[in-house]
Amino acid sequence: MAEYSRLASGQTVARGVEAQPAGQTAVVVPFLPDFIEIYNRTRAVAGSGVTRAWWVRDAGQGSAFLDTFGTGEQFIAPVGGTSSGLLVSGTGFSTIQAGLSLQYGPTFLLGGSGGIAKTSAVLLTVTTTADHNLTTGDWVTFQNLYQTSTTGMQQIAGIPFMVTVTGAKTFTIDWVGNGSNLTAITAGGLNTLASFKKILYPVLYAPGVAYPWKIDVGTTTTIHTTAPHNYVVGQQVGFRIPAPYGMTNLNELPNTTLPGFPIYYYVTSVTDSKTFVINVDSTQFTAFTVNNTFLSFPGLKFAEVVAAGDVNTGGWPYNGGDLYPSPRFFNGFTSSTTVGVSTINGPAISGAFSNATFMGFIIGSGVGGTTGDVIYWRAYMHDINYL
Amino acid sequence: MRPRALQPPTIQLGNSGIDPPAQVPQRDIIDAQMAFFGTGCIINEQVILQDQEGVLAWVSERLAVAMRQAEDLILRDYIVSAASTINAGGGSNADNPTNLGVSDFSLVATTLDTNNAYKFMSGIEGMDRFGTGPVRSAYFMLSSTELQSDFDGLTGSGFLSQWNYPTNASALPSEYGSVYNIRILTSSEAPVARGVSANGQDVYYNTVVGKQAVTHINQDGFSMNLIYRDPYYSGMLAQNATLAVKFAQAQAITQDTAIRNLLSTRLASLVI
Repeated sequence: MAEYSRLASGQTVARGVEAQPAGQTAVVVPFLPDFIEIYNRTRAVAGSGVTRAWWVRDAGQGSAFLDTFGTGEQFIAPVGGTSSGLLVSGTGFSTIQAGLSLQYGPTFLLGGSGGIAKTSAVLLTVTTTADHNLTTGDWVTFQNLYQTSTTGMQQIAGIPFMVTVTGAKTFTIDWVGNGSNLTAITAGGLNTLASFKKILYPVLYAPGVAYPWKIDVGTTTTIHTTAPHNYVVGQQVGFRIPAPYGMTNLNELPNTTLPGFPIYYYVTSVTDSKTFVINVDSTQFTAFTVNNTFLSFPGLKFAEVVAAGDVNTGGWPYNGGDLYPSPRFFNGFTSSTTVGVSTINGPAISGAFSNATFMGFIIGSGVGGTTGDVIYWRAYMHDINYL
Repeated sequence: MRPRALQPPTIQLGNSGIDPPAQVPQRDIIDAQMAFFGTGCIINEQVILQDQEGVLAWVSERLAVAMRQAEDLILRDYIVSAASTINAGGGSNADNPTNLGVSDFSLVATTLDTNNAYKFMSGIEGMDRFGTGPVRSAYFMLSSTELQSDFDGLTGSGFLSQWNYPTNASALPSEYGSVYNIRILTSSEAPVARGVSANGQDVYYNTVVGKQAVTHINQDGFSMNLIYRDPYYSGMLAQNATLAVKFAQAQAITQDTAIRNLLSTRLASLVI
């Protein structure tokens, strides 16, 4: 028939933390491919790593055939598979169809030896008993963070967090980890009930609501959020900070000098996907705190920042690729905190409310090479697939 | 475009004859990107020729329903993403959010009133009819049908069933009742986040809106296009017809202080 098939090709850059093995790299195409092939130019020149990989739908989500320099062909089993012989572990290719919000993965129990450690003033470290199968850039939300019936970390349950994976059974999240009202989740308590769910499609519409966990005061004010905020320079933002969090000075309302009119701020710089700076002198503001007591968690309101408009007139900046680039968002499918995933839509004014629903495929960490690698890809959707 | 308020001139002019400084009128810009959507079906001519059920007719109907559902789901998911939330705390189930208590309705209405949101409905005056009571002027709240048993549980402590309004003239078909300054519409497609409360229960997004909160933007001539292509256009043997729908829409929060997602869990057991 060859009338309804879809063929696409292109190039992308492996995403992740610099000079590290790449995490997940999303490629947006306007169909769900049943065949994917990539060529890693950087690995081929270097003579190391995975130089070529391919996938067919019948092999299963998460699988891949790969050609590793000096080793030859290997196979990554689908998610849930095992490794032996030329089977190797890792994450291969998967297709993605992100169109409906509030979709979650299964409940993942931290397990008997799992827990959450109070690592530092900026980190909590989550340990799981079984492999968590997360990738840096994934978003999760926690449930049942009890150590005892009256202690634990239920104060953070329900907040979306972007994870940074530090091992097969460990990952970190940004939070004031040394808060006195947090009790570490450790073995021997109710830790076996503690769990998280992966948020499958956390950013289908952007910019949206973000959750501050730390605010640096000064002549300008720096906001740290638990997951990507997707704001740009020139974004207009408003705050809703309940009284227990201290810094109610930032709130949109009440406005004592112009009654009834919300107070908005502008984003003056974006440090990374989870940090931005606004144009307000906060040196005299009440300190921001997330050190809420455990027993206050039922009905606890969260501090929020929301997009309220923008003052931009131009489109997204040209970055060497296509002219008039589409918006880019940190949508849970990139391990980078500085380069988001392009939407499937056309160009838009920077900061505009945009639809970021998409479909395409994910190049997993097992075949993605090293951060910054140049990858050529092609993707097919065949007219028919015979089983 | 959202105009900014001008400073009310509360300082007297005096008798100097000098005009006060002029104010600079300012407005905020709210940008939104138009997005196009569509889906369709490929139908082999043999089906059209031999199927006795009028396949083109019922596939057209299904496409139309799918498109209208998509419009609603897109707007629903956008509001879930972009509007502020308030976790219910007035319930008794010791979760976060809690189940809905009447104080949560009061809190949200108070918040929107304080934020100068415009209500959708004026009140319904009381009448001399047994079992009825007056209804306050109100915002609309869109909730899941799964919460209806929880609303019933608030009867006598603030909830008034739509059937107990003095008159049903202004009640919408999907209206379940009211609590204080909020009239509740229920839908099976209202947003629910399964199993993600602090205690692992379902979280319901009860969206409470003022009039000026959100806008839905259509593209001229693109609210809905039903596109039929005869098999003649499908290849040298003209074997396949296509039926498809296409539409365009965008949406934006025009006043973020006039909308809140009241998040709640459920008290009553869910029966499916």
